[in-house]
Amino acid sequence: MAQHTSNLRRLIAESFNNLFPAVPYAEPENPVAGDLAVEVKNLAVSVRPKSLPIFSNVNFEIPLHCRTALIGPNGSGKSTLLKTLAGLIPHYTGDVKLYGSKPRIGRSRIAYLAQSPQLNPDFPLQLKRLVQMGTYAHHGWFEECHHADEKVASALKLLELEDLVDRSVHNLSGGQLQRGLLARAAVQGAEILLLDEPFAALDTKSREIVENFLFRKDNSLTVIMATHDKADSQQFDRVLEICEGSLKTIHACAGHKHPHA
Amino acid sequence: MPVLGINIHMLNNILSAFQEDFFLRALLALFLSGISAACLGSYIILRRMSFISTAMTHSILPGVVGAVILGFSAYWGALIAALLTAAGIAWISSRKGTSEDSAIGIMLSVMFALGIALMGLSQSWRDFTGLLFGSIVSVSTEDIGVILCTSFLVLFCLRLVHKELELASFDEEYAYLLGARPALLRSVLLILIALAAVASVRLVGALLTTALFIIPATTGVLIGKNLKQVMIWSVICACGGGTLGLIISYTFQGVPAGAAIVLGCAIPYFIVRIKNN
Repeated sequence: MAQHTSNLRRLIAESFNNLFPAVPYAEPENPVAGDLAVEVKNLAVSVRPKSLPIFSNVNFEIPLHCRTALIGPNGSGKSTLLKTLAGLIPHYTGDVKLYGSKPRIGRSRIAYLAQSPQLNPDFPLQLKRLVQMGTYAHHGWFEECHHADEKVASALKLLELEDLVDRSVHNLSGGQLQRGLLARAAVQGAEILLLDEPFAALDTKSREIVENFLFRKDNSLTVIMATHDKADSQQFDRVLEICEGSLKTIHACAGHKHPHA
Repeated sequence: MPVLGINIHMLNNILSAFQEDFFLRALLALFLSGISAACLGSYIILRRMSFISTAMTHSILPGVVGAVILGFSAYWGALIAALLTAAGIAWISSRKGTSEDSAIGIMLSVMFALGIALMGLSQSWRDFTGLLFGSIVSVSTEDIGVILCTSFLVLFCLRLVHKELELASFDEEYAYLLGARPALLRSVLLILIALAAVASVRLVGALLTTALFIIPATTGVLIGKNLKQVMIWSVICACGGGTLGLIISYTFQGVPAGAAIVLGCAIPYFIVRIKNN
């Protein structure tokens, strides 16, 4: 009986979704040309049009698979730079390219994690569903969602969240939620991670898990992480310092070097 | 012999209701409208849009009155008024210095006052009491057809954009980053609220339509652990509470059906609320 009900439900769902052709949320990504993940030339960003730029004349390049720390004091513009790269701030001048294309919304290979994610506190959602939402990046309008259970299980395992799958996201600690959002980015298949102060809410254990995820040798992530704490930047391949309206220094750290970089 | 305050005569009276054609028609209209209102209501509550849904449901009054005066279908009048309200709110709140809350307050008051003014102009107050307070027991087959079509359309659209609405309701920024236009989804939701309000106005009236959206869904939110469970519980509370209300109205002849339905929907909410305490 249960089998028949399940088949009937699947048949109805498939017929329903066949009525409308799937429309992608955004244009498909172009294949990567060259070995640069990010190229920024003469960038100046204002939060509002015609207002003074927060920073100007910013130039840098980040190769594929390079882990980069973006350091600077509070209010220096780290978050603004990350948001610009993510396509959330349209008012900028200069030339910015991520994977060879200008920043825009609807890019499945780029994930941005805000310092304080604005999640609806009333919305009942279990952790597993949050992580499954990463698959939406590869769907479009009118398309039935396939939840890629293996990917979801693997991401949950990677971030050591298997025991919390049925827990409400609102009952997670700040560190567990941050790991859940990283698991969602992993399921999304993001290759460039733009992280804004991800260590701010983490205890020692959560921080260790996140560091293992970001710096493990078998992944090919390109990470750009904003932090105000210079000590956080020790493990990164490259450090950019943003201060007083411009990008002042670019240097390679003496610490960990990722084999891909 | 009285058993728990209900005697055999009263039970027979309740059972006889289910043999009356008008009662069964009212029940069918209530179920059709209740299902779409409850599913939509889940999004309204979770996205904190109760005030705008109240404005949309109250603002259909001038449309319905105007349609009755001009002699065309009240449903078209209601739909036009609801869409005008949505457009008005968007236009007023786009001006600097006027928040969306103020825009909703302005449109709600203006449209409702316009409805009352039109009623006064028509010099026939009695004709419009059904619009204000509902007249579910007199729903015709044509009304049921309209309610069926609008409910089907609302549920169909909700199913079509379910995953996008769920994502945008929980994490708007992530939805935006993926390209699933949250602003467009909000407009779609407002249009669906307008459609569902049109379907419900005959049941509980312009004054109480908002209750069908809000009360069952608020109960669902208290019980459900995810969106699917919230919607299922909302539908159960809307249909169960509504049926209870209809029975109350049938049993106690003086109680208007619209008010009884709303009171019936409120009973599950208070039970769950007290149990949760």
